[in-house]
Amino acid sequence: MADRESARERILEAACDLIAAEGIDDVRIARVAMRAGASTALVHHYFSTREELLEQALLHSFEKVGEERFAATGGEAPSATAALAEAIEECLPSPGPMERDWVLWVELWLRAAREPDLRPFAASLYGRYHDWLEEVLRRGVDAGEFTAPADLRALTDRTMALLDGLGIRALLHDPTMALDAARAQVAEFLAPQLGIDPAALLTQAV
Amino acid sequence: MSPRPSIDHIRRPQILAAAAEVIAERGVAATRIADVAERCGVSPPALLYWFDSKEQLLAEALTADDDRFYEELEARVDGTAAPGERMVALIEAATENAEDFALWMELWTWALRDAELRAARERFDVRWRAAIEAIVVDGVAAGEFDAADPPRAALAIAALIDGLSAQAALGDPEVSNPRLAETVLASAERLLGAELPARAGGRASP
Repeated sequence: MADRESARERILEAACDLIAAEGIDDVRIARVAMRAGASTALVHHYFSTREELLEQALLHSFEKVGEERFAATGGEAPSATAALAEAIEECLPSPGPMERDWVLWVELWLRAAREPDLRPFAASLYGRYHDWLEEVLRRGVDAGEFTAPADLRALTDRTMALLDGLGIRALLHDPTMALDAARAQVAEFLAPQLGIDPAALLTQAV
Repeated sequence: MSPRPSIDHIRRPQILAAAAEVIAERGVAATRIADVAERCGVSPPALLYWFDSKEQLLAEALTADDDRFYEELEARVDGTAAPGERMVALIEAATENAEDFALWMELWTWALRDAELRAARERFDVRWRAAIEAIVVDGVAAGEFDAADPPRAALAIAALIDGLSAQAALGDPEVSNPRLAETVLASAERLLGAELPARAGGRASP
């Protein structure tokens, strides 16, 4: 049982690596199998089509993000402001594994823009990301650290949009968009709407 | 030098329009030069005479799309109109065509892996942010806007439009597009410390 689980996991990890490196359109089952150290028959055993494998790989990536990062965010933070600073950090494409997740995220946007069939799946992942960020903001409001915005849902959507719009530029190494600048820009946008000092969101980042 | 300069100006727009259609439908990876040639009724060798690669077709199709965007924007509201009016027109124009979004997403994903397309994306972004910034600067000079740092305000508006367009693309663009313009306008008002004039189309559009 454990072996079966790990083989499936290995295949999904290999698929994520290849999607991030080469783009989703160029990923072939045979290459995923080779990278995972599995046979193509085993890949087909778990995933009946290439489309299913790719969809499950994206889901796997975002679930892992959820488990490893989103769930933990703010858990040990000394304040809601610190938790928010941490959350902003989690949403930007810092070098390392976060960059891979970001590339996969952009691949998902592209696929969903082109294929209406994929939109409900993409929208549900996006919804989870939204709920997580909204919860971070709500905890600050409940704790009395943030002034309550008129529409928390809308503020969450706009903050995510800004993070995505700045994040894609940082991911593409836009010369005018270093991660520091992206962070500062998000703090400047968000802080006045929560009645806090933008500097508090920058100095408390871990 | 060129054996067919006399028809070049007639064929190019047709080829680029066909390329935009085919790439938006299938993506760059699944697009073949022959598909584009068939769509616009030229032979593949003729098409290859004008364009070296699919990547070049994508970059040039987007350049044509981009030029058209600025021409139409200028036709809608000229540079002598009040800055608030120009900002509203720009945001409306930028949030109108959800179907173009798939093509721009192709650019973003290919720019992750292709230096030429990365440079092309930067060129488009520089032009786009300069167009927004010019309006912000005029608005500040006229005392209509309150923005201490116009390039930063322009970047925030550009990033919000990209991020919110991605959100709309994940859902149903037909439903979310009127809301998309409203959301960007509301955020722009906050960033510019100004109330923007009511939209020409009215706020009640479905």
